[in-house]
Amino acid sequence: MSKIGVFICHCGENIGATVDCEKVAAEAAKIDGVEFATDYKYMCSDPGQTLIKNAIKEKGLTGVVVGACSPRMHEPTFRKACAEAGLNPYLCEMANLREHCSWVHEKGDATTGKAIDLVRMLVEKTKRNKSLTPIKVPVSKKALVIGGGIAGIQSALDIANAGHQVIMVEKEPSIGGHMSQLSETFPTLDCSQCILTPRMVEVAQHPNITLYTYAELESLDGFIGNFKATIRLKAKSVDYKTCTGCGACTTKCPTKKIPSEFNEGLGMRTAIYTPFPQAVPNKPVIDKEHCAYYQKGKCKVCQKICPTGAIEFDKEDEFITEDVGAIVLATGFNVLKPDFFPEYGYGKYPDVITGLQFERLASASGPTLGEIRRPSDGKIPQKIVFIACAGSRDPAKGIPYCSKICCMYTAKHAMLYQHKVHGGESYVFYMDIRAGGKNYEEFVRRAIEEDGANYLRGRVARVYEKNGKLVVCGVDTLMGAKQVEIEADMVVLATAGVASCGAEDLAQKTHVSYDAYNFFAEAHPKLKPVETNTAGIYLCGACQAPKDIPDTVATASGAAAKVIGLFSNNELTREPMVAVVNRSAPPVFSTCVGCFLCQTACPYQAIEREEIKNRNGEVIKTVAKVNPGLCQGCGTCVSFCRSKSIDLEGFSNEQMYSEVLAVLEE
Amino acid sequence: MNDLKAKVKDLFESGAINLFIGYEEGTRRPRPLFVKNAEETNKLVFDDRCSGNLAVYLTRKDLIGGKKVGIAASYYALKSINQLVSENQLSDEWLRVIGLSADGKLLEFGSLAEVSEYLKTASAPPKQNEDELVRQIEAMTMEERWQFWSDELSKCFKCYACRAACPMCYCTKCIVEVNRPQWIQPWATTLSNMEWQINRVMHMAGRCSDCGSCGEACPLGIPIHLLTHKMSETVAANFGQNGDDKGNVLSTFKPEDKENFIL
Repeated sequence: MSKIGVFICHCGENIGATVDCEKVAAEAAKIDGVEFATDYKYMCSDPGQTLIKNAIKEKGLTGVVVGACSPRMHEPTFRKACAEAGLNPYLCEMANLREHCSWVHEKGDATTGKAIDLVRMLVEKTKRNKSLTPIKVPVSKKALVIGGGIAGIQSALDIANAGHQVIMVEKEPSIGGHMSQLSETFPTLDCSQCILTPRMVEVAQHPNITLYTYAELESLDGFIGNFKATIRLKAKSVDYKTCTGCGACTTKCPTKKIPSEFNEGLGMRTAIYTPFPQAVPNKPVIDKEHCAYYQKGKCKVCQKICPTGAIEFDKEDEFITEDVGAIVLATGFNVLKPDFFPEYGYGKYPDVITGLQFERLASASGPTLGEIRRPSDGKIPQKIVFIACAGSRDPAKGIPYCSKICCMYTAKHAMLYQHKVHGGESYVFYMDIRAGGKNYEEFVRRAIEEDGANYLRGRVARVYEKNGKLVVCGVDTLMGAKQVEIEADMVVLATAGVASCGAEDLAQKTHVSYDAYNFFAEAHPKLKPVETNTAGIYLCGACQAPKDIPDTVATASGAAAKVIGLFSNNELTREPMVAVVNRSAPPVFSTCVGCFLCQTACPYQAIEREEIKNRNGEVIKTVAKVNPGLCQGCGTCVSFCRSKSIDLEGFSNEQMYSEVLAVLEE
Repeated sequence: MNDLKAKVKDLFESGAINLFIGYEEGTRRPRPLFVKNAEETNKLVFDDRCSGNLAVYLTRKDLIGGKKVGIAASYYALKSINQLVSENQLSDEWLRVIGLSADGKLLEFGSLAEVSEYLKTASAPPKQNEDELVRQIEAMTMEERWQFWSDELSKCFKCYACRAACPMCYCTKCIVEVNRPQWIQPWATTLSNMEWQINRVMHMAGRCSDCGSCGEACPLGIPIHLLTHKMSETVAANFGQNGDDKGNVLSTFKPEDKENFIL
């Protein structure tokens, strides 16, 4: 006979204000098999847990049902408490009276009634619970970092410096990401390249890091501690073993008019190219879309000029498979497509540029060698307008979120402009100035007060060209909504940060959830900011949401710490909620008929074939077998099995059935 | 006809088979015949009247266990065989298949893979009768439909002839025999009969050849084959046809699959 203990938590007022917890406990006490039922204000607190432990010992409980919050947070807490009192932790279950009841219903008898039903369901389930033992699986102590921007670089270096192997995959020909494109960085105005490039070199030279540039994740199998990643190494058309990076090919390539991605289209590159002089690795790749040989079948100038014979045309992409234990997603962000702002004339007027393009103009390695010159005629703009929130915080345009970095980089742009163009006038149209961060507010004040940037609080309606000037029509809401027209030489849009273009695809490959804007979702916004919902996959940097460099680096180190923590154990303990194929007495052996439709349905390739043999070694029957190391307990196979030969430990058909009956029969 | 007799005789004499499942003349129409040696082959018939799905015997270990088997397969039996192959129940090692094309020619299959190839281009014999009946039921209101099936299924006394006639029902332990939990009430009442039929049909999803043997087998003439017929139609419309993928249409995902049924 079961002796179930029921413990109803008020969760302060979260449950207690809506559900009559005393009544729930009183009703629960009447259920067959319930030995003890009580309620308490905070069951997860120390006195609450002690209450459970004492009841287990004193009443000899065979099962525990805690009616409280979602099991997501506190199931481990209560299971641990039960284990400490000598009860198998898997004999403890939670009825979610908060998210499933008190938070979604008004106070009333019906709500209390539902809480009682939920408890009754779990009592019926718990009666049929079995003691389970956690599963131990080995961990491959090698990490895969996807993305070679500052986030990936920081994360990879931290993991590698802790003594673990790291594989870094970067889709572009060089690591460095967006940070390598920046001129100076707020709030200290130190040169972006000066602080980044040494780290890039460190990655390339680190004995624990294997770097694959021009590569992408093709597919991912497995689970925490035991992922199998297939990586596509895109054909570079250059043999990196023999290439010395002399650059002769890039100077002689006849296809020279390709807008440079690194310079945001403000400069040109050749078809065989190294993205920028400080690239890591500093060796070229051939852009097949523009290469004359690949497009028209003739040219091969680079091959003729190459002193080491490193050019290799018509190579196929290669695939490699790596066993890794953890994955860090650091795929960063993109800026909004220019066609987003027809009213600002982006694309129509060459002197309307994005913030990232301004970075290139202001950068010493940029197309103007750091002089602010407008793209149209190379003149130095005497009047410049910055438009903040270009796309961001604009629900009508589909981007309700704040891109976070624009306030700060716009202040920096205004400051850099004032430093470089003496006597120039700068205007900043803004909605609010969001300068939360160490020394951020001081930085913005400095731009306004010391460098004389003119800040106007208001939006810009339109930008149009008149007599060679860009007329910016806006409003100054702090001056009584006065209309403002500024005749500018150049306009810079602080375009919204959006998810990286392959983000959705990558999220699906890695089974990571993502939000409506394709940013990857963290497991908990406060308490698990670098974890994803898929165990063993972590995220950092701007692939989660727009982030500045300090936050990116902090999350990158945070993700690295999680990986190092995972790698500190030789074995991983996994929940024993896995599917099991039944066994029965000979001559049946198992009711499994070996149709293996479960194998086709299993998303984790966890189902294998097992041959049942007689004493002479002859195969009598081939049946399905679940590898508990791979099984994630999703139950898809259980629903696919017609003869119910597979069942899920901890969520067996019998348990689920009795839960349903418990609520139907009342 | 003589073709088949000669061919099966050859198979026996060459030792390729020691059991042939085919048809002989019956009282009203051809009935199944188990041929055990070359002499008995002269009873065999095989023409368009031979519509019963003989594939049902291929999973019966008590009948064919350890034997080398040949089978005369109608179009629907070929479909069932193809599905049973993808469910790992049949093997080239012991099975030889002889089919009949739409124009009455014998089809000799060298391997089970050839059956699968043949089915990719062969078209199903029309089912005008069934289509008409399904159309009539679809024209009913929900209440009328409920009444119709309640009336029909109230007659069922759970003899499980539908299960016995079905080539796809080969489980060692059928769900009706699973009693922890007792998914389906064992007694014959309208509701529990519905539970059984719904379960049976759901278990056929993506696997049913639409041969109609279940309906033929029903001693009370309940048109249960309309359930599988309609379901086959629905599965084909929403998930595609089986045949090109290993496994089940319901468990294989292709990016071009329709998703319009997801709300």
